Amino acid sequence: MLRSLSLTARVKLGLAAAGIGLGVAAPYIFDRFVIGLISLALIAGLFAQSIDLLGGYAGLITLGHAGVSGTAAYGVGYMASKAGAGFTAQIAVGFLAGMTAALIFGVMAMRSDGVYFIMVTLAQGMIVWGLSIRLFRITGAENGLTGIPRPPAVELYWQYYYLTLVVVVLCWALLGIVVNSPFGTSLKGLRESETRMRMLGYNTTGQKLYVFLIAGFFATVSGILLVYLNGFISPSTVILAASAIGVLEAILGGIGTLVGPMIGAFIIVFVQNVVSIYVSRWPTLMGTLFIVVVLFARRGLVGAISDGWNKWLHRNDAPVSQEPVLTSSNRTAGP
Amino acid sequence: MTDGLKSAVPPTSEPAFDASRSDAPTSRWLWWGGSIVALALLVWWILTQMTGTAFLAQALNGLSFGAVLFFLASGFTLIFGLMRITNLAHGGFYLVGGYIGISVVRATGNFFFAMLVSAVSIMLLGLVTERVLLRPIRGLEKPEVLLTIGLTFVLGDLSLAIWGGDPTPIPKPDFLNGALNIGGFIYPRYRLFVIACAVVVGAILFWVEKKTRWGAMVRAGVDDRETVAALGINIKAVFTGAFMFGAFLAGFAGVIGGAFLTLLPGQDFEVLLFALAVVIIGGLGSLKGAALGVVIVGLIDSFGKALIPELSFFTLFAPMAIILVLRPRGLLGRK
Repeated sequence: MLRSLSLTARVKLGLAAAGIGLGVAAPYIFDRFVIGLISLALIAGLFAQSIDLLGGYAGLITLGHAGVSGTAAYGVGYMASKAGAGFTAQIAVGFLAGMTAALIFGVMAMRSDGVYFIMVTLAQGMIVWGLSIRLFRITGAENGLTGIPRPPAVELYWQYYYLTLVVVVLCWALLGIVVNSPFGTSLKGLRESETRMRMLGYNTTGQKLYVFLIAGFFATVSGILLVYLNGFISPSTVILAASAIGVLEAILGGIGTLVGPMIGAFIIVFVQNVVSIYVSRWPTLMGTLFIVVVLFARRGLVGAISDGWNKWLHRNDAPVSQEPVLTSSNRTAGP
Repeated sequence: MTDGLKSAVPPTSEPAFDASRSDAPTSRWLWWGGSIVALALLVWWILTQMTGTAFLAQALNGLSFGAVLFFLASGFTLIFGLMRITNLAHGGFYLVGGYIGISVVRATGNFFFAMLVSAVSIMLLGLVTERVLLRPIRGLEKPEVLLTIGLTFVLGDLSLAIWGGDPTPIPKPDFLNGALNIGGFIYPRYRLFVIACAVVVGAILFWVEKKTRWGAMVRAGVDDRETVAALGINIKAVFTGAFMFGAFLAGFAGVIGGAFLTLLPGQDFEVLLFALAVVIIGGLGSLKGAALGVVIVGLIDSFGKALIPELSFFTLFAPMAIILVLRPRGLLGRK
C-alpha cells in the first residue's frame, strides 16, 4: 500500500507518524513547564487552524476569532466559578455559548468580503472584549473568573496534556476531512473569486456562514481546552491581540495548509514564553514580526519548505507554478 | 504572482444579480419612512427616561465624541476610498498623536502649537508608513491590512514604554476650561469647541472635495485610478498625499480628543473600533457616510452609556449588525 503512494505522500506520512510519536513520548522526555507550553501550543495551533480554515482556505481573514473561542471559555468559566455547575453542564454551556457567538457573528459577516470581512470581525472581537470588561456579574471584569478546576480524570498536567493531544489530533483529522471535501474545494473557489462562484450557482452567502460555523466549532473546542488548561479566564484571552496572534501564527507557519498554523503556533508560543523572560516588550516584537512576515514571508514556513521540496523533486522539469494564497489580489468589488 | 499596480486594477463592479435589493422608489420611501418612525419612537422612549436638559447634554456629549471620531473616520475613509488600504494603524496614529501633544504642551504650554506639532509628526509617520512599509505590498489588500495591525501593536507598545501606562489628560488652554451657561443650560466649553472644530473641518473637507483641483484628483482617483494615471496625474503622489493627510487628521484628533477622553494604553484599539463602526454604518469611502456615521455612532454611544451603562459597548453592536445584514456596504456606501 505504501508503495502506491508518491514520495511526497510518504514523506508526509512519515512526518505525521514521527509527530504523533513525539507527542505521545513528550511527557517522558520534558519537564512540567515544557509540557505545559506544548499543551498551550497545541491549543493555540487548533485555534490558528480554525482561523486558517476561514483565512487560508475561504479567503476570509478574521481578526475577531478570539471573540468566539473566548465566549466559549467564558461560558465554561461562568458555569464553573459563578454557577457551580458540574462538568457536563460547564462544557455544554461552553459549546452553546461559543456556537451562538459563531452563529451571530457569522450572520453579521456573511454578506461582506475581503477587507470588509476583516473590519466586521475585528469589531465583533472588540465588542466581546468590551463586554468581558463591563459585564462584571458574568465575567468578573478585569479580574476575570478564577477557580475553574479540571475534571478529576485529567487533573494532573500530563493527563490533561494527553487529553489535549487526542482532541487536537482528532480535530486536525476532522479539519482535514473538511478541507478535502467538495465543500472544502468550493471554499477555495470562494477565495479565488466569489463572483465566479456565484455565477456557477453557489450560494456564497450560505457557504460563508457554514464555514464560519465550522471554524467557530473548532475555535470553541480550543477555547474550552484553554480555559481548563489555565484554570482561569480574563479579558486578556479575548483581546484583539489574541485574535491577531492566531492570524500571525497561521501566516508564519503557512496559510492555506493545516500543518502550517500548528507549526506557527509552536514557534510563537515558545518564542513568547521564552523571550518574555528576557525582554518585556513582547507586543513590539510581535508587531514587528507581523510586519516582517507580511512583507517578506507571506507563504510562510510550510510554503517555503514545500517550494524547496518541489524544486528538488522536479529539479529536472520545467518550473512548477505555485498556488497563490495571500499573494493573490482578489480585491473587494465596490468603489 | 502578479504583484504591483498591474494587479491593482479595480474589478468591474459586481454584477447586480442581487434580486433581493430593489431600489424602486416605493421601497425607498418605505425605507425612509420606517427609519424616521423608528427614530421618533426611539427619541420618545429616551425622553421618557430622562429630562429635556439631560437629553440635550447627552446629545451634545455624543456629538462631541462623534466630532473626534470625524477627524479619524474622514481620514480613514479617504485612504480607503482612494487606495483601498484599510489603515488599522489609524488608532495607533491617534494615540501617538495624543501623547506627542502631551509632551509638547508640557514643554511649551501651548495647546494649539501642540496640535500642530502632533499633526505634522503623525503626518511624517504616515509618510514613512506609506513609502517604506506599504509601498512594497501595494495592491495586496489583505497583507496591507495585516501590516497595519502589526504596526498598531508596535506603536501602542512603544507609547507605553515612552509615556507610561497612567491615564493622562492633555491640559486644555484656559479660555476653553470651565462651562458655558446658555440660559440656564450649563455645558463644558471645550466640548462645544470640539463640535465647532469638526463642523469647520468638515465644511473645509467638503469644499475641497467638490471645488478644488485637489478634490477633483481625489474623486477621479476613487473612481478610476488607471485613467487618472493615464491623464498624466502622478497618482502615486496623490496616494502618498492622501495617506499623509489622513494621518495628519489622526494626529490632530489625538490632541483634540486626548484633552477630554484622556489617553491610556489600549485606547488605540478602542477609537479604532469606533472609527470602524462609523465606516461600517455610514459606508466606506464616502465623506458623507463618515459624517452621518459619526453622528449616529456618537449619539448611540452617549445615550447607550447613560441608559444601559453595563452594555455601553454592546449598544453599538445591534445597529451595526442590522446594517450589515440589510446594507453590507453601509448606509451611504457605494455598491
